Amino acid sequence: MLVWSLTGRLGAWTLLAVVFGVIYVLPLAVIALASFAGEWNGMLPSHLTLANYADVMAGESGEQLQVSLITGALASAIALLSGTWAAIALRAVAPAPRRLLDLLFFVPSAVPSVSVGLGLLVAFSQKPVLLNGTTAIVIIAHLVLISAFTYGNVAAGLARLAPEFEQVAESLGARPMFRLRHVTLPLVKPYLVAALSLSFAMSMGELGATAMVYPPGWVTMPVGIFALTDRGEVFQGAALTMVLAASTLAVLVGLSLVPTKAAAR
Amino acid sequence: MAGLAREAGASQPSGIGFSGVTVAYKGAVALDRLDLDVAPGEIMAIIGPSGCGKTTALRAVAGFVRPLRGRIRIGATDVTDLPPYARDIGMVVQNYALFPHMRVAENVAFGLRARRAPAGLIAERTGECLAMVGMAQYADRYPRQLSGGQQQRIAIARALAIRPRVLLLDEPLSALDAQIRRNMLGELTRLHRDLPHLTVLYVTHDQTEALTLADRIAIMRDGRLVAHGPSQMLYRAPPNRFAAEFLGRTNLLKVRHDGEDGRFCRVRLGDTVLRAMTPPVALAGDVLLCLRPHDIFLAPVTVAPANTLHATVIDVQWLGEQHSIVLDVAGQALRLVSTPLRDPPAPGAVVAVHFAAEDASLIAEETG
Amino acid sequence: MASDGLAALPVARPRLDGAWVLPPLAILVALFFYPLALIVQQSVTAADGRRDPGAYARVLSGPLFVNALLHTIEIALAATAGCLALGFVMALVLTFVPFPGARALSRLIDTFIALPTFLIALALTFLYGSAGIANLSIMQMTGATAPPIDFLYTVAGVVLAEVTVYTPFVMRPLLAAFSLIETAQIEVASSLGAGAWRIIREIILPAALPALLAGGSLCLLLTVNEFGIVFFIGAKGVVTLPLLVYGKAIQEDDYTAACVIAVVNIALSLSLYLLYRLMVARAEQGRRGS
Repeated sequence: MLVWSLTGRLGAWTLLAVVFGVIYVLPLAVIALASFAGEWNGMLPSHLTLANYADVMAGESGEQLQVSLITGALASAIALLSGTWAAIALRAVAPAPRRLLDLLFFVPSAVPSVSVGLGLLVAFSQKPVLLNGTTAIVIIAHLVLISAFTYGNVAAGLARLAPEFEQVAESLGARPMFRLRHVTLPLVKPYLVAALSLSFAMSMGELGATAMVYPPGWVTMPVGIFALTDRGEVFQGAALTMVLAASTLAVLVGLSLVPTKAAAR
Repeated sequence: MAGLAREAGASQPSGIGFSGVTVAYKGAVALDRLDLDVAPGEIMAIIGPSGCGKTTALRAVAGFVRPLRGRIRIGATDVTDLPPYARDIGMVVQNYALFPHMRVAENVAFGLRARRAPAGLIAERTGECLAMVGMAQYADRYPRQLSGGQQQRIAIARALAIRPRVLLLDEPLSALDAQIRRNMLGELTRLHRDLPHLTVLYVTHDQTEALTLADRIAIMRDGRLVAHGPSQMLYRAPPNRFAAEFLGRTNLLKVRHDGEDGRFCRVRLGDTVLRAMTPPVALAGDVLLCLRPHDIFLAPVTVAPANTLHATVIDVQWLGEQHSIVLDVAGQALRLVSTPLRDPPAPGAVVAVHFAAEDASLIAEETG
Repeated sequence: MASDGLAALPVARPRLDGAWVLPPLAILVALFFYPLALIVQQSVTAADGRRDPGAYARVLSGPLFVNALLHTIEIALAATAGCLALGFVMALVLTFVPFPGARALSRLIDTFIALPTFLIALALTFLYGSAGIANLSIMQMTGATAPPIDFLYTVAGVVLAEVTVYTPFVMRPLLAAFSLIETAQIEVASSLGAGAWRIIREIILPAALPALLAGGSLCLLLTVNEFGIVFFIGAKGVVTLPLLVYGKAIQEDDYTAACVIAVVNIALSLSLYLLYRLMVARAEQGRRGS
């Protein structure tokens, strides 16, 4: 509706196509191609192979997939619990302290991930709690970074919930816990699922804090990808990257299939 | 309607009482020392312009608003400090608020489940209430599959399933089309007949609903109770100007009080002496004569019954079911409505109009 | 009520609802604010445990830090400008010059947010790296011996990667803001003779301004914090604050210096975050007012 002439419109679409193509499609296509490449010395790979994927799925990279999935699942589950709890509890707090607490719950997402890792390293390499070099510290790092997003998502969902539902529920005799379980949470289910998806994706791709705190026995895929590319095995790095992207997207698609239609929009 | 073994709240005293209830939000007073009693089994409608506090009053009974001062009573219990879930109330709101993630039957059963009623009772009561509102065959549907009127009936069934002592209705019909609204009004009247022990507090801005449904009406303005009483009496003899103008349309003629004769009293409009009902509170001097447009009749010029006025026709409008005629009486406007006239008078004609003394009431002229 | 067969009415319990926020708050404090406090403490503590008040002066005046700070700011500003420009153009075309599949395209761009940031960096090295497609092709075709394209290992490369990754964060609020512009306004303007550029300047841009400010401040924050991209590109001349923190801590084992730099980095990020919150609040106000 902005551009009326056909040439104008074609021009705009061409511009969009070029920009989108060069900036988004090309890099992704290249990674995909590289993951299948045997040797690549010119414009196109000299031959395609599945060997990269085979090498990657066996051995330590296969473990890294497991590590990333477990870390992602644990961290996002705990973050969902903690963020939802915080979002619901905050509704009962008076407006002035509530604004401050809201800000506080978001702060971990504002701070560089490397600093979060550094903080955990410094704090838990000394008494009273020693977590240095354990799996737990990686999970905690992811947890801290993503809990702000689950909180934000759920808080947004709760804010959009019409108050009448909970009020009518209360007038019918529902005590707070009953109301929470049977009315509030089911009605914000879409936001809970979205929060879980987002947190899981963020955990899968997290590098900054993980690089600071990971122990040798708990290597996530991003760290593994860096290690591969750093020592020159770029095609395997590309293959592992594709595995990372595919597994993230698979979980996201799976979560998007969770039935949420009946909930209020 | 057969099927209800026990009336709602029959074993419990009912009724609502506001004693000196004051509610304030951020410095603005929403309710100002409200004193109002709703008798057990009565339907009381609270009406008033928006912002008058009627919804606040309802929410105070429900427990969603805490009074700054005053006490609220449901039945014989002071509920002021009780949370909503402990007050034994049923509530129906304007947009129904049916739980979208539950089927109709689960919606209706919600209150009973929240109170941990045994499963047999839940099933029986749910079926009963759905039948009572004529929605038994929709038990397995989801709310989004129902029309507005159907949803509102489910909301009513849900509120009644717990046999509350008090039913609170917050503009329950405003979201419905005019035709459905008329049907629902009939249904609500029938329900009230079938549940004579249920006290109902009904908030609305629509006077027709109030007049149709309510036993007594309370009129509010700016957080204060302006008038209250049985619907008919409030309509026929409004106690003050605001009530007269808010409830239905009326004519207010400036007249001079000229003495009482027992049940009736005399007033002067210019040179004409008219008779009206004696007001409960003695008035004197300049007062207002309140006449409803449908209580004024065009008199043939030959007949001259008591309470006749001569007026000049200013405007005649045909509204299908009625004729609306605006007249000038000694410089004041007077409007009458009548059944459609075959020969309506023309603008400019001088006609005689008359009314019965029983249909005329007096109101104090308020300043400001 | 008992005679009805129902359980008694629920007993009213005292309301302590606000206290429920304490458990998640405790977790937040223990896992985030406590470590943060220790970073500050460590920044003035030398490796052997003694107080080191001169650490700030020493580290902050060093060339490495100043370099990193300048690079961080430079990259953040450039990337944000790029995101705003690119995001505006794409959102504009997607909304106002619609074509079938425009909606799907914008949702596709949205899903890029789920992917790790270093993915683009890796892809760019395949494309523009010294052993990448572009260079090898050009070298083959022209017979040159040195790779002609090396912008990837400069600030420009990092900026390109960051623009790619963070533009969706500008596009989302923009698309939302654009969807609120009434098409009637634009149609009336067109019928009055306004050309496309004028409409953009006088109708669309003002309506988009709050979203641009919010999206832009978010981009600033995200690019200042970015680590994966800079890490993967690994150019020696391009060091940002997060990368420096990592280097000092992990590679040089100098925790004091790392903490000092981290404190500065965090202070910068928090200020940008407050700016972002302010912009969002203003955008919300504007939306409610109209």
